[in-house]
Amino acid sequence: MGKTTLSINLAHAFARAGVRTLLVDADPQGSVGLSLTRQSRLLAGFYDFLADPGIPLDRLIVPTRLETFSLVASGQASDYESGGGMAGSYLARVRAFLRAVTARGFDLCILDTAAGLFGVTGDVIASSDSVLIPQQAEPLGIRSVPKMLEGLNRLRVMNPRLSVLGVVLTMVQQDLAESMEAAHALRQLLPQDLVLQTMVPRDALFVRASARGLPVGVLEDGHGAQAVFDAMRAEIEAKFDIRGHRPLVHG
Amino acid sequence: MDPVHPWLDPIEVRRLAERLLLPVHEPAVQVTDAGFGEQFVGYSPVQPLGSLTAMQEAAPQPLVAVAIQPTPPPTPVVVQAPPPPPVPAPVEPPPVPQAVAIAQPEPEPVPVGIVAPAPRPEARGPFLDRVGRFRDWLHHHFDASGIFLLDREGAVIFDESGHGKLHFLARSLAVAARRPGGAPANVHVKVGAAATLEVIPVDTPYGCIVLGAVVPSPMEPAAVASVMDALRSVASPQG
Repeated sequence: MGKTTLSINLAHAFARAGVRTLLVDADPQGSVGLSLTRQSRLLAGFYDFLADPGIPLDRLIVPTRLETFSLVASGQASDYESGGGMAGSYLARVRAFLRAVTARGFDLCILDTAAGLFGVTGDVIASSDSVLIPQQAEPLGIRSVPKMLEGLNRLRVMNPRLSVLGVVLTMVQQDLAESMEAAHALRQLLPQDLVLQTMVPRDALFVRASARGLPVGVLEDGHGAQAVFDAMRAEIEAKFDIRGHRPLVHG
Repeated sequence: MDPVHPWLDPIEVRRLAERLLLPVHEPAVQVTDAGFGEQFVGYSPVQPLGSLTAMQEAAPQPLVAVAIQPTPPPTPVVVQAPPPPPVPAPVEPPPVPQAVAIAQPEPEPVPVGIVAPAPRPEARGPFLDRVGRFRDWLHHHFDASGIFLLDREGAVIFDESGHGKLHFLARSLAVAARRPGGAPANVHVKVGAAATLEVIPVDTPYGCIVLGAVVPSPMEPAAVASVMDALRSVASPQG
């Protein structure tokens, strides 16, 4: 769905703007960690924190060259989690994690979750202030939107303060009619406020950035792509006042 | 051919999406009296229920909550248990068990598929007497212990469990399981190797009352329905 690309580059855009940002790999497949740190499979991470109350957050934080940008990898305890399980199993631990993030002084915590709304992903959404939904601009993906909306409505019962920032269209191919039609159809279906204006294009730059373990904006020719995420950051900031701890979650 | 619309109901999608933009009514649930520490992650299923404090300190275990529909099955109940003997109103308050007793020996558990008759409606008396008989009925027919009732504000109406944490858990589960506009649904969560906290919210003339009871295994839908009926009757001003 392009959620990992979105998470990494959006987090980087916030960090570049001076927002103390923590990017957390809450996907058991560990894509953020794999993308940005070569040793990520050896690091303790988010799932270790959930499994072991004795692990402090400080042990999990991986700094980057950008002072305002830090990471938490998925961790070693994530293997058993691939099945998802019932939402609610880790609610208390997820909330403990977010409290620790607040106490550590981060302004923004972005959690890149596994797809779906169950298991730990459900617990993360039930603990967050807001949710951003990456949606690949292709017909099959759009057809799953009603299920996603239903699931989010259920989770808002558990977490009434959850704000839905909107759907972000990702992997948009301007030169492919089906992709543009799908993007158009989604905008027709949903209220205007629920679809971000900024779209993430499918671009070889992202593959190159991922291969080098970097956010796309760091590449020599990445300014254009960085501008996309800067625009998205501005759009999100306009929706949501980012002061103090504001966890975001990508599903 | 339109690649999207034939697979979707645009009106329904729009309705769901617009609901996401509306504020959600936040129920007033008091969480400050829960007594959970920041490290609380659920009850250990291997600990005996005799030591809830010890459970909190035990290694974290996943908490499994399952919501089932409260509607009874469409077929009639196969077997009816004999009516319980009339139970006098308790003269003194029941002893608060040190354990949420799974080790209580006497009560006969109701087999799967059997629905016990509710307490006799003719013997009404004051509210607390009715609650006492209802409790005895739950003890006898469902091997229930640690029974408590919470009112719509989450305040305790009746409690033999003595554990605020169970109240908090029940309150949270009842709120989480409630769908806007929908009927209340029961939820259960495993709190020990042979103990399940059954949470049954019931709409009554006095608002939603949440029943919490520790039972050996999750209750069948038919049993839940009979408990709901019984509690509704107990909480009604007139029989």
